Parts: sequence; C-alpha cells; structure tokens
Amino acid sequence: MSGRRTIYEIYWEILVYCRVPRSFTAIINRCDLNSKTGQEYLEFLTMKGYLRTMPEGERRTTYISTPAAGEYITLFSSLYQKLFDNPPDFRL
Amino acid sequence: MHEQILSQFRTEIRHFFLISLLNLVFAAIAIALGVQYIVTAIIGQTLDPLIPGFPVIPGMRMLTGVIAMCCFVLGIRWILSTVRIFKGTVIIKDDLRKGGDAITDNRLTCLIVRMLAHYRDNRRTIRTMILVCTLGGVCFFVLGMANSLKVLSISSGGFAFTLDNLLLIPAMLLTLGISLASLFSSYYFSKFAQVWEQRLREINESECALKQKLGLDGQ
Repeated sequence: MSGRRTIYEIYWEILVYCRVPRSFTAIINRCDLNSKTGQEYLEFLTMKGYLRTMPEGERRTTYISTPAAGEYITLFSSLYQKLFDNPPDFRL
Repeated sequence: MHEQILSQFRTEIRHFFLISLLNLVFAAIAIALGVQYIVTAIIGQTLDPLIPGFPVIPGMRMLTGVIAMCCFVLGIRWILSTVRIFKGTVIIKDDLRKGGDAITDNRLTCLIVRMLAHYRDNRRTIRTMILVCTLGGVCFFVLGMANSLKVLSISSGGFAFTLDNLLLIPAMLLTLGISLASLFSSYYFSKFAQVWEQRLREINESECALKQKLGLDGQ
C-alpha cells in the first residue's frame, strides 16, 4: 500500500502482513517503506512485543506477529470501520 | 455489522467513481467545445471580404474567444485533476469488487485505509477541482448564452432575445448541460470532501486509543 498514511496505519499493515513469517525485504516492499524507516518500525514493534523474529537459515531472519498484535489489529479495524457506521448526511 | 459497513463503503466508492467518471467525460467535452468556440471566435475575427480591412463583429467575438480560451484551459486542468483521482478510485473499486461479499474484515479495513490515504494524497487536488468545476460551470453558462444570442434586450417589463440561428439551440443546450454537470460535480465533490475531512478528524481523535494500546501515550 502506498500513499500518505499515519504511523498507526503502517503499524497495522505490518502486523497484518506478518501473520505469516515474512522477510524484511518482503515487508518493506509490501508496505512501501524505505529500509531505514522500515527498520525503525520493525524494531519498535519487536520491542513492544507485537512482532518477534524467527531465524530462518543461516543469514535470513523473518518476522511474525505475536498474539498481542491481534488486540491492536482488532482495535484498529473497529475504529476504522466505525467511520462507516453512519451514511453521509447528503443523498447519494 | 460487517455487511452494513461493507455496503456503505461500496456505495460511497461507487458514487465517487461515477462522479469522477462524469467529470472525465464532461472535461473532455469541455476541451472540445472550448476549441470549437475558439475557432469560431477566430473565424469571426477574420476580415470581411466585402469591406476590406474591417472585422465582422469585433466585441462579441472577442469576448466569446476569451471565455472559450478560459474554458479550454479549465478543461485541461479539470481533466488532469480528475484522471489522478479517478485512477486511485478505480483501483480501490476493482479490489472491492474482486473481494465480493466474502471480503474479510482485514481486507475491508485495508481498503478503508487506502481510501483515506488516497484522499490525503489528493486533498488539494479535490479542493482545486471543486473550484475548477464551479468556475467551469459558470464560464460554460456564459459561453452558451453569449454564443447563441444575437440580441438581448432587458427592460423593466421583462426581457427579449433573438437567437443567431435555430441550429444553435442543441449546441446551447449541450453547453448548458456541461455547465450544470460541472456545478453538480462541484457540489458532490465538496460534499464528499466534507465527509472525508470529518472522517480524518475522527481518526485523529481515535489515535489516542491506538497510542495507548502501543504504550505511546506518554509521548
């Protein structure tokens, strides 16, 4: 996903994408991030316990969301879907 | 609940897509008509073969030419702005269609996030488009009138007008149709913009909950 997003939207996207193990390159490509900011986001989420690293092979590491990430994903989805609870006040 | 939200989101995207499409079509017609009126105005400015050295009807043709030029420029601006918005909306609409009714919760949220990002990216363009559509509508209205009327007299008792040629009536109606379509688009774009602005404000307000969840509430 590209376009102007908030950090919370980027965190959500990373966590949803990492429900199955993903490599660093796959994450930054999918979430349209540069490697520097991508690294920062991943470090933050790992530090907070929403992501954990899984060694895969000798030099490769993958990231996977933890059960704690599920709570953030659910909260985020409910907040964003709530935006469409009420139809606009003009006739479509 | 999920179905209701999905249906609401789908309806909004479909309407936004239709308004963008309507804009594209009318912007293309606006450019074509602008060129046509410019050509007509230039031909009107050519020298009369019967009276060498004198133009035919200088004032009215000049005015029409200037307004036609404005319409042409606005039409180009209009089409460029619309294409950008249209493209993003088509991608989201197609993804929504591919998902069908069995779209997952996360996929729906993803599309909402994408639409928000699309709106943030094109916020200024949409504001410009509202302005361009309104200006375009007014210009085309004046152009339709100016190009079709031969004589217009307004008195305290009412007004009377003479048309240049009866064949001009369809062209005049088309021009008026374009002006109405652009005013209609402008109205709907401003309504959509208001709704999406309100949503962005709601998102900003609910960020506290996300911050708290991430343990960032102290920052």
